[in-house]
Amino acid sequence: MNDSSEKTIWHLFIEGDANAFSSLFKTYYSQLHNYGLKISKNTAFTEDCLQTFFVYLYDNRKNLGKVTHVKSYLFVSFRRALLKYLKKERRFTNYDEVFENINAFEFSTEELMVEQEFTKLRVSALTQLLNNLSSREREAIYLKYYSSLSTNEIAEVMDISYQSVLNTLQKAFTKLRKHIESSEIKQVFKIV
Amino acid sequence: MNENNQSLLEVLLNDTSFKNWANQSNQNDVVFWENWIKDNSDKIETVYTAKSIITGISFNKTELSEGKINMELDAVLNQISSKENKKVILLNNRVSQRIQKYAAVAAISILFIVLGNTFLNSSSDVIHKTGFGEIIDLKLPDGTSVVLNGNSEIKYDKENPRDIELQGEAYFKVKPIPSTNAKFWVKTNDLKVEVYGTQFHVNTREEKTDVLLDEGSIHLVLQNGTTKKMVPGDLVSFSKENDQVTHHKVTKELPYSLWREGTYVFNNISLQEVMSNIEHAYGINVEFIDEELKHQLLTGGIPNQNLKICLSAIEKATGTRIVQKDNRLLLFKSATNLN
Repeated sequence: MNDSSEKTIWHLFIEGDANAFSSLFKTYYSQLHNYGLKISKNTAFTEDCLQTFFVYLYDNRKNLGKVTHVKSYLFVSFRRALLKYLKKERRFTNYDEVFENINAFEFSTEELMVEQEFTKLRVSALTQLLNNLSSREREAIYLKYYSSLSTNEIAEVMDISYQSVLNTLQKAFTKLRKHIESSEIKQVFKIV
Repeated sequence: MNENNQSLLEVLLNDTSFKNWANQSNQNDVVFWENWIKDNSDKIETVYTAKSIITGISFNKTELSEGKINMELDAVLNQISSKENKKVILLNNRVSQRIQKYAAVAAISILFIVLGNTFLNSSSDVIHKTGFGEIIDLKLPDGTSVVLNGNSEIKYDKENPRDIELQGEAYFKVKPIPSTNAKFWVKTNDLKVEVYGTQFHVNTREEKTDVLLDEGSIHLVLQNGTTKKMVPGDLVSFSKENDQVTHHKVTKELPYSLWREGTYVFNNISLQEVMSNIEHAYGINVEFIDEELKHQLLTGGIPNQNLKICLSAIEKATGTRIVQKDNRLLLFKSATNLN
């Protein structure tokens, strides 16, 4: 869906058009499902949350305020809803704790493809490197390359500044590249 | 120092030519940045970090099945409707209507796939054809992608997938082949588009051909023998019938209509012309009950993945009422307009 058609569909949805609601649901369900699973690691929990979330969205469509980017809006509000339920369920006191305790955004070897400069690595090695990053760094990477959000949209979703998104990405990739370099050096010594 | 690197990183990430270097997609940019790096070896850390951020991490994305999504949608719709008791019957009706419609579209697509295959076996021509209201996303054997709007057709020789005949409306993203510089052609009744690698929209309806170029550059060879070179943002129309060419730059003032990624974009287009696009794509007749509506102008993006959404969008944008009756669309002034 591109920008202008998305705006029209959103507008129709606010006015109560059932077709527009279904179209939004079908476009974003799969992406939000994957995102929710990355945070909660629990399929049944994620699907319950999604159901409640979409019903809430429909019921409160008249009071949603101004929405400029539909996609990031849905990610932000779904993330907020999900963390609220998680907090309730597990009696965490704040969101950061949720992220740390459940080790959110863990990646598996099946979902990674090794391409470009990371070709030198095996998928399993890259997976391990990624999972050694902080949850925040992993979330930024996930939103950028899995969900294809722009830097501005990531800032909106993670509720941090544009600058912090760049910093987080920079830190993450600096770490990755250091690991790759040191593993290359080890390789050289092995051969010699 | 650190702050300097930070702003450099931001500049690099937003620089198109730098992105081309990172993706190795443009030879000139590659040469430029290789030299730049030699002259700025102190910035190398930042440069390579920026490159990593651009090339990124590639994921295998998992999509849920359509069946699963529809099941979840129905669960949500049921919950919504049980709250609003009055609307229960209405919503369920819509759902089943929709399912019937999808089934019909699926059946038609299968029919066309079967037809396409028989054509493929009997001759070396490959044909892709869409039914009314159907949009398909095609990948040609050379990697070019074509989005075909409703009621349209492309045809090519199996041996030569870069030479295509088009009837109707389509959006092309041509894959460049730098090693051989192989061209790509789109032929219509009125003209021939000659391409290396680029993105453009072609519309052959209404006894003429419109070509709008989004990226790259192309040559047109018109049926009357003349050639035209187009740059991005150009809109050329040509009709063999009356031998008339128009060549415009797309601006805010210029009236134009185009179709890309499943959306019509109209700029100062009369409702009559807008509706004729709908007639072609959905095979449905339009009747203006209130004649003066024909000349009302419309500007904006209209989604056309689905006739219902498309019509609601036009109603909202123009303050009209569109009623579907059998295979006809009737256009009225909306009640609020009469007040």
